[in-house]
Amino acid sequence: MKYELLPWLILFLPLVAAGGITLFTLRYRTVSALLSIGAIVTGFVLSLIFINANGWQPAVGEISKNWLSIGTLHIDFGLKLDALSMMMLLVVTGVGGAIHIYSFGYMHEDSGFSRFFAFMSLFTFSMLGIVLANNFIEMFIFWELVGVSSYLLIGFWFEKPSAGDAAKKAFIVNRLGDFGFLLGILMIWGILGSLNFSVLQGQLSQNSLALGAMSTIAGLLVFCGAVGKSAQFPLHVWLPDAMEGPTPVSALIHAATMVAAGVYMLCRIFFVLNPEALHVIAYIGGFTALLAALIAVQQDDIKRIIAYSTLSQLGYMVMAVGLSGQTAAMFHLTTHAFFKALLFLSAGSVIIALHHEQNIWKMGSLKQKMPVTFWTFLVGALALSGMWPFSGFFSKDSILAQALEQGHQLPWLGYPLFITGVLVAGLTTFYIFRLFFVVFFGKEKSEIASHAHESPAVMTLPLVVLAIFSFIGGYLGIAGVYHGLFAGETEKSAGLAAALFEPFINSPLAAALGLCVVAIGFFAAFSLYAKADKDPLPVILGPLATAMKNKFYFDELYEATVIRLHDFIAAVMDWIDRWLVEGLCIGLVRGGTDLTGRALRLVQTGNLQTYAFLFVLGVAVVMYFVLGK
Amino acid sequence: MSMLTYILGWPLVVALALVFVPRNYRVIIRGIAVLATLISAVLAVKMFCAYGHAPIDADGYRFVQQVPWVESLGISYHVGVDGLNVGLILMGAIVAFAAACCAWEIKEREKEFYILLLVMSGGILGAFASLDLFFFYFLHELALVPTFIMIGVWGRGERKNYATFQITLYLSLGALIALIGLIALYVQSGANTFDIPKLTEYIRQQPLSAHAQNFIFPLLLFGFGILVSLWPFHSWAPLGYGSAPSPTSMLHAGVLKKFGLYGLIRIALPLVPQAAQSWMQILAWLCLGNILYIGWVAMRQKDLNLLIGNSSVAHMGFIFLGIASLNLIGVTGAEFIMVAHGFLAALTFALSGYIFQKTGTLQISELGGLCRQLRFIGTALLMAAMAGCGLPGFANFVGEVTVFFGSWTVFPLVTGLALWGGLIIGAVYMTRAVRNVLHGPLPDKWAGLADATSLWRKLPYALLLASLFVFGCFPRLLTEKITPDAQKIVTMARGETVAMGGTRLWRVQFGVPPDCDGAQLVGVDHTGNRGLHPQAVSGATPETTRGTRVLHDNSSVALGENTILN
Repeated sequence: MKYELLPWLILFLPLVAAGGITLFTLRYRTVSALLSIGAIVTGFVLSLIFINANGWQPAVGEISKNWLSIGTLHIDFGLKLDALSMMMLLVVTGVGGAIHIYSFGYMHEDSGFSRFFAFMSLFTFSMLGIVLANNFIEMFIFWELVGVSSYLLIGFWFEKPSAGDAAKKAFIVNRLGDFGFLLGILMIWGILGSLNFSVLQGQLSQNSLALGAMSTIAGLLVFCGAVGKSAQFPLHVWLPDAMEGPTPVSALIHAATMVAAGVYMLCRIFFVLNPEALHVIAYIGGFTALLAALIAVQQDDIKRIIAYSTLSQLGYMVMAVGLSGQTAAMFHLTTHAFFKALLFLSAGSVIIALHHEQNIWKMGSLKQKMPVTFWTFLVGALALSGMWPFSGFFSKDSILAQALEQGHQLPWLGYPLFITGVLVAGLTTFYIFRLFFVVFFGKEKSEIASHAHESPAVMTLPLVVLAIFSFIGGYLGIAGVYHGLFAGETEKSAGLAAALFEPFINSPLAAALGLCVVAIGFFAAFSLYAKADKDPLPVILGPLATAMKNKFYFDELYEATVIRLHDFIAAVMDWIDRWLVEGLCIGLVRGGTDLTGRALRLVQTGNLQTYAFLFVLGVAVVMYFVLGK
Repeated sequence: MSMLTYILGWPLVVALALVFVPRNYRVIIRGIAVLATLISAVLAVKMFCAYGHAPIDADGYRFVQQVPWVESLGISYHVGVDGLNVGLILMGAIVAFAAACCAWEIKEREKEFYILLLVMSGGILGAFASLDLFFFYFLHELALVPTFIMIGVWGRGERKNYATFQITLYLSLGALIALIGLIALYVQSGANTFDIPKLTEYIRQQPLSAHAQNFIFPLLLFGFGILVSLWPFHSWAPLGYGSAPSPTSMLHAGVLKKFGLYGLIRIALPLVPQAAQSWMQILAWLCLGNILYIGWVAMRQKDLNLLIGNSSVAHMGFIFLGIASLNLIGVTGAEFIMVAHGFLAALTFALSGYIFQKTGTLQISELGGLCRQLRFIGTALLMAAMAGCGLPGFANFVGEVTVFFGSWTVFPLVTGLALWGGLIIGAVYMTRAVRNVLHGPLPDKWAGLADATSLWRKLPYALLLASLFVFGCFPRLLTEKITPDAQKIVTMARGETVAMGGTRLWRVQFGVPPDCDGAQLVGVDHTGNRGLHPQAVSGATPETTRGTRVLHDNSSVALGENTILN
């Protein structure tokens, strides 16, 4: 293998940047930004060089160094190099690089400019670590590190109470998932005695029942990690709140990379999951996709709509994994990284133009004022809804096709999820074009909207690049690379035309239905929102709209149960600690000593006769014992 | 002279010398005290680095020095390090230096304070270095008594007197119980020596009777346990730390508290193994009291120092869990957390001390938004909070995760619950504290707070943070030193575990033939009992196989559980 050093460099450059900024260049804004941007862009270039030299499947599948070794516990620090990690390297450094450059413009006025880039580089390092990890504990380590980078970046404007609360919530909810993840890791290690992915895969492929009765439980526990990080139901509540962070953060962490880490992890450890676990995973994914799409329909905050859309798309990916379609899941992950980052960055451009106004009902008519943003957003919206020939169409179609195919074998699994998928595709088109029409068309709905103007080139350039990839991402051969890894066969490279029409030949029903619902969703959104000043939907839907607007009351539910319960237990324990343990233990010792003292005091009467009497009594007792026997 | 003698001697000698310095030479007193701890810290670092190349004596210790003292009782000044205490001495010396640096907040009776601080540092370093039971105990007491005085005289808060009273009562009681246990051990062994290596060797060949073991172990467990705030004997700790001046809490929570744990590992486990085994199940459940119950209590605290104090008590639970698992991974993990927590506890108390110094309050509701005004201190506190809830990169993560791996094979249920405590409850109270103290709007009254700006002020915090990072990123620096000696302790504590064919022999312990290199694990139970890891089979050496063969010949004899064969 050539250039063995490169993957290490790619991984550690951002860490060096983060450390350098924190220690030395906090005062020099531009230097800090250049360090951070330089690290990730260099990473992208080096990834390209490495892939060019070694292909998608390097000859040496992993490089590792021992990190900790105690008795039977061996933890390596290694790099896994295969098509999956190579492609993710490109996504993280590529999309991440575009977002870093964009941030240079977006954050320019902020006083914490250097700190922002330090955090971003820390995040990039952690995310690359997840991608390259070759064993469970290494992955868990970076898993926690992305968690904390996300915590720091959500709470970037920590003086805002809402940002502080959102950061805290994200951290704790993620920890709930990590609890299951680590428990699953312990269980797998306890039974199979190894943590290395390749070794475990080898063991399980020799004997698929090696995990025994714990197989389903272990798989689902590991899945918990993905539920937390990829914000699947029931731990989905943190992601919308995470929009308190700066918009580039939402684009990088809460759309393109970190939240996709759960899906990536599931594909990486797919060999652990048995059919029962996969079914649960598929249903949870499908349910999340539907739930989040419904909520998105009635949100008014531009970033929250996109955030719920992210939830919904992640649901798609998780569902695809559950349907044993890792290729489809990773394909969608990749295209989603392009178009969702694009949507967030365009939204950010709008938000900056409107001086941090995020309510879509205070925007409107931005089409002429912000042409680049308008067109790039349109590309992102079309890709998200799955319009042919945008990238989203191909990846979403491959998920739907996978569901249909599974349906032939397991009708109760494949068909309901296929219908859900199609339904969600329609909803997706509806909510994203609702946003689109309200923001870019109609009248200016507030004073600021009429003064908006286009963002500088440092921001629009990344938008254009991402827009190009959102457009053509579907037929670049990304799916082929993943397919080569997961199915073990390399697809022969078909011509462009063949690639464009391949979905219609492969699974005509999925493609046709998918396009139909896109059309329906689009026209519904057009007729309702093209000229609307306020949302007509609540009148039509009634209480359902209220429920959707309130996110189906999940926050309230958790507040009333989980949080209340923990606080209640804490209160009880505190009371016991204060009054029983401390009071009783100390009280007894002190009281006992005190009581003895009081009792003994009674003997000290000061009366000479009494002393003489006791003295004689004592002597008598001693005499009895000494002489009496 | 051994380097250890210098490490522990400098602070003690300088403490003595300070007595003769006039009290109004404040700067000189402070300078001398800081210098003394600095020298011992530098020497400790040097010793830690040289550990790998240092010559090893017959008992497996390095940097050994032995001076006979009371020969009739078998007491001698005997110091030395192996994997179990090398990390602790390094940590102790660094924390002592940081504590001396942080003592600038003391503005009255400085002379006495620094003398006591130096006595405390030297005493505890000596207790860790001692390989003689007498000095081991005596030097710990020497370090413990100044704690009470410091809290009583320089303490803060309304409940200062009550805290002094409580901590004195509890810790004296714990030390007394442990003393009874140690004396009983000395008397029962009949070896007529206080020398730990000799005593260990003697008992290895002539184990104590089961009766004596069952009498001694609880004394050691609860005596040492009280010193470490084992649940339910913990209530002295949060209050005591809350009221103590910060250098005192740094040294006590960070270093002194580890004495009980070190005693358990060094003395209780190998010398009273049978009783230890029977108590481990109970200890595992008790440690949940620390992890879960104290975690919940910490969630309710309204005072930052009480919260930190409770979290420090909760962390002790992980160490107990590691010890209770009684296997190599668990004990190594426990040792690792002891070092990691020392740095962390010192760091958090130092930071809260800084905030108290500047604001005059640690009521969480009074604070808020401090990250804006106190950039450095706030960032450091944020990092400490993250280290406290087990973030990778900091040393605590390595220790905790190792303990989980160790205890998982023995107590899966307890491990699962402990995991909940470590990952969830820890995260809840730590992020709440961060949210309420560092994040949010800055109240107007704190707009004039001054951050630690000079290099000198930043030094102690930076040093402690750096130590956490170094061991968190390169854990092998420590684990490679710990494992060989932890292995010795574990083999002794588990006795010989033998299983043959279909006969269900579980934990049979026998006196090992003199030529045998310790008891070894030689087989697994074939009846489906998965308590042993199959990997352990490979640990059999020719000697032990011979020992097993002897057993095979006698296998017709029914052997009950925990039979001792000689």
